[in-house]
Amino acid sequence: MDISLSGSATVVPPKVRSIEEDVDLFGGNIRQIERLKKTLGLNERRIASNKLTNLDLCEQAAQVLLEQLNIQSSDLDGIIYVTQTPDHSQPSNAALLHGRLACSTECAALDIGLGCSGFVYALWLAYSIIANGSSQRVLVLAGDTLSRLVHPKDRATASLFGDAGSATMVEKRSEAGASWFRLGTDGRGADSLIVPAGGARLPFSEETAVETSDADGNIRTKENLFMDGSEVFNFSIEVVPREIEALLSDAGASKDAVDYFVLHQANRYMVHNIGKRLRVDLERCPVDSFGAFGNVSSASIPGALAYELADSFSGECEGKSSHQVVLSGFGVGLSWGTCLLNIPHLGCLEWRTYKA
Amino acid sequence: MEIKIFIEQFEESLDGLEAGLVTEATAFKELKEWDSLAILTLTDTIDLEYGVLLKKADIESCDTVRSLFELVQSKV
Repeated sequence: MDISLSGSATVVPPKVRSIEEDVDLFGGNIRQIERLKKTLGLNERRIASNKLTNLDLCEQAAQVLLEQLNIQSSDLDGIIYVTQTPDHSQPSNAALLHGRLACSTECAALDIGLGCSGFVYALWLAYSIIANGSSQRVLVLAGDTLSRLVHPKDRATASLFGDAGSATMVEKRSEAGASWFRLGTDGRGADSLIVPAGGARLPFSEETAVETSDADGNIRTKENLFMDGSEVFNFSIEVVPREIEALLSDAGASKDAVDYFVLHQANRYMVHNIGKRLRVDLERCPVDSFGAFGNVSSASIPGALAYELADSFSGECEGKSSHQVVLSGFGVGLSWGTCLLNIPHLGCLEWRTYKA
Repeated sequence: MEIKIFIEQFEESLDGLEAGLVTEATAFKELKEWDSLAILTLTDTIDLEYGVLLKKADIESCDTVRSLFELVQSKV
C-alpha cells in the first residue's frame, strides 16, 4: 500500500536552559558538567512555561503543517495524539485539538498513552487505518512536557528532558512503496520509568508530595518522573539493535540500503551506541537535535527529522525518488516500536519556536 | 579472560580516569570518577567485550575490580 508521511513540523518552547545552568545540581562540579556534555551530549533543552501545555505546542505545529501543505483542517479524517502529559485526564488531547482546529465531525480522534516509543505506534496506527480504508489523511501529534514532571534536584532526569510538540501528516502517496513495522512491550519493566502518583492507583495527597532522597542522593516526590537509568539503558541496548535487525530481515532489506536510522533521541551516547552495535556509519544516525531540545519523548523522532534532515527531504530527495528510513522509538512501558519506511520528498519538514 | 586486559578495559570505560592507577584490588566504588554515568559506560563495555549484560545491582555487589572480573567470568 502506498502510504507515507507528507510533512512534519515540530514546535519547541522559547525558553532555553543549558546544562551549565545546572551546575548547582551537580554540586558546583564543572568537571562533571563537561563530562556529561562529552559523554551524553547534554547541552541545551527547551522548557515550557507553566501556562504552555503540549496541546499548545502541537496545535501550533499542526497549524504550520497544514499551512505549508496547503491542507484544510476539514480535510482531515483522523487525529492521533501521542502524549502522557495531556491537558486533562479526560477528554483526550486529540478531541481538544479537533475542536481548536475546527475539524469535520466525521474525523476520528484519539490519544495514545505512550512516551518515547509512541511516534512509531501512532504511525503504525495511521498507516493501518489508511490501509483498511477507514481514513484517507491522518494527522499524528506527538509530544510531552516532561520538564513539569521531573524534580529539579533529581540528577537522573532534570537535565535530560525537554519539551516539544510535533505534527506529522500521513496520507496515500503513490511514490511511497511498502512499509514495515515491529512493535513490542515488556510490562515487567514498567517500574523502571514511572510517575507513581496522580492516577487512580495513587491519587495526589500530602504524602505523595513529600520529598525523599534516594541512595544516589537524588531528590523527588511520588508525583515526579522516576527513571532507573541503568535498567532503561540495558533494555535499550538489548532490544533496539535486535529489533532493527529483525525488522530489516522481515523486509528483506539490507542496512546499506537504509539512508537514515532515526532513533529516539534518548541521549547521544545511546544513539551512537545503538548505531555502533548495528555497525552502521554514525553519520546516518542523526543525534544533534538532542543537544538542542533535550530528550523530548515522543516528539524526538519528528524533531530529529526536522532539525537535521530537512534538506534531505526537500526537492527531489537528493536525486532519489524517496529515502529509505528506519525509525525506532523506545521507552516508558517498557515499550518499543520500529519501522522501515520509504519517504518521498516532504512538503514541510521544519521546526520552529513557539510564538504566543 | 585476562585480568590485565579487563583492568585496561575498565580504565578506558571510565572517562577521566588516569591509566595505570587501577589494580585488581582497587575498590572501584571509592573512585571519585564512580557515578551513575560510570555504571552506564562500564555496563556497555562489559557487554560489548564479553557479551555479558550486568545489572547495576550486580556491579554494585562487587567490592574490587577482581571481584567484578570474577563475576563477569562466571557469566561468560
